[in-house]
Amino acid sequence: MLCIPATISSPEVSFDQDTSCLALKGESYPENSFEFFAPLFSWLESDLPRLKKLRLEINIPYMNSSSTKCILDIFDLLAEHAGQGNEVTICWYYEEGNDRALELANEFSEDLPLPFETIPFRNEEG
Amino acid sequence: MNSLRSLKEQFVREGILIAFNGAFTHNIIEEIGNAAKRHMEHRQLTRNIITDVFAVYIEQTQNVRNYMLRQGLGGGVYDSAIVIISSNAEQYFVASGNPVRQADKAELQERLDFLNRQDKDALKQLYKQQLRKPKDDSALGAGLGLIDMARRSCGPLSYSFEELDDSFVFFTLNVTIAEA
Repeated sequence: MLCIPATISSPEVSFDQDTSCLALKGESYPENSFEFFAPLFSWLESDLPRLKKLRLEINIPYMNSSSTKCILDIFDLLAEHAGQGNEVTICWYYEEGNDRALELANEFSEDLPLPFETIPFRNEEG
Repeated sequence: MNSLRSLKEQFVREGILIAFNGAFTHNIIEEIGNAAKRHMEHRQLTRNIITDVFAVYIEQTQNVRNYMLRQGLGGGVYDSAIVIISSNAEQYFVASGNPVRQADKAELQERLDFLNRQDKDALKQLYKQQLRKPKDDSALGAGLGLIDMARRSCGPLSYSFEELDDSFVFFTLNVTIAEA
C-alpha cells in the first residue's frame, strides 16, 4: 500500500492496484527530496518486479532541482523494468500555459526509452 | 531605532517586493515563497516569469539552508542569511546573502565564473550531465541549483564576496529574470 498525502512542498504519491497506476500530484520542493522520495524508491524496489503493467501519471506544476534528480532516477528504474519485457507508460500532465512544466517533460523524454505522453489540461479552478 | 519610514522609502526605491533576514527554516522558505508567488499572480505577470522567480528563490534559499546545515552553522551568528525579491519595470531580481567559509570561496567563485561563460545550450548539457551523476551521500542537494539558476537567469549570475572575518566572507548572489 502506497499513499503519501500532499503537503505545500511535496506531492501526493499513490498507487491504484486496480488500474496499476502510480500517480504523483502536486508541487515538489521538499526540505530533503532524497528523504521524501525514499519510501517511493523502497516501494518500487519491492513491488515493481511483480507488475507486468505500470502507468505513471505525473502532475507536478513545479519541481526543484533535487526532485528532478529523484524523478530521473525513478524513470531509469522504470526503463529498466520495461527492458525486462514489462509494459510501462508515462503520462505527464501540465496545465495549459505552464511552458516550464512542458519544457521539463520534453527534456526528460529526450533521453528516455519509454512511451512518454504530455497531456495539457485546463485549470478548472481559475 | 532608525526611521522605519526611511527603510520603507528604500524598499519602494529599490522595488523590493519581499525581504527576509534571519535563519532560513523550511517553513519560512515555503511561506515566503508562496506569499511572493501570490503577490506576483496579483500583478498579473506571465506564468513563466512567476515560475522562474519562484524557482530561483527556491534554489537560492535551499542552497543557503543546505550549506548552513552541512557546515553545522545552525544556532550561531553565521546562520543568519537574507533573501530579497525585487523588480523594476522589465525585470525581476532574486538575491540572497549568507556567510560562506573563506575556504569555500575560491571553488564557489570558480564555479560561478565557469557557469557565466556558458551559453544556454551548454548549460542544458551541464544540467543533464549533473543529473546523471550519482548522488554524493554527504550532500543534501543534487549539485544542480546553480546550473538551474543560470539557465533561468537573463545574463550572467552576478555575485560578490565581502570580508567578514578570518573565517568567513559574506556571499551575495543576484539573479535577474526577464521575459525571454
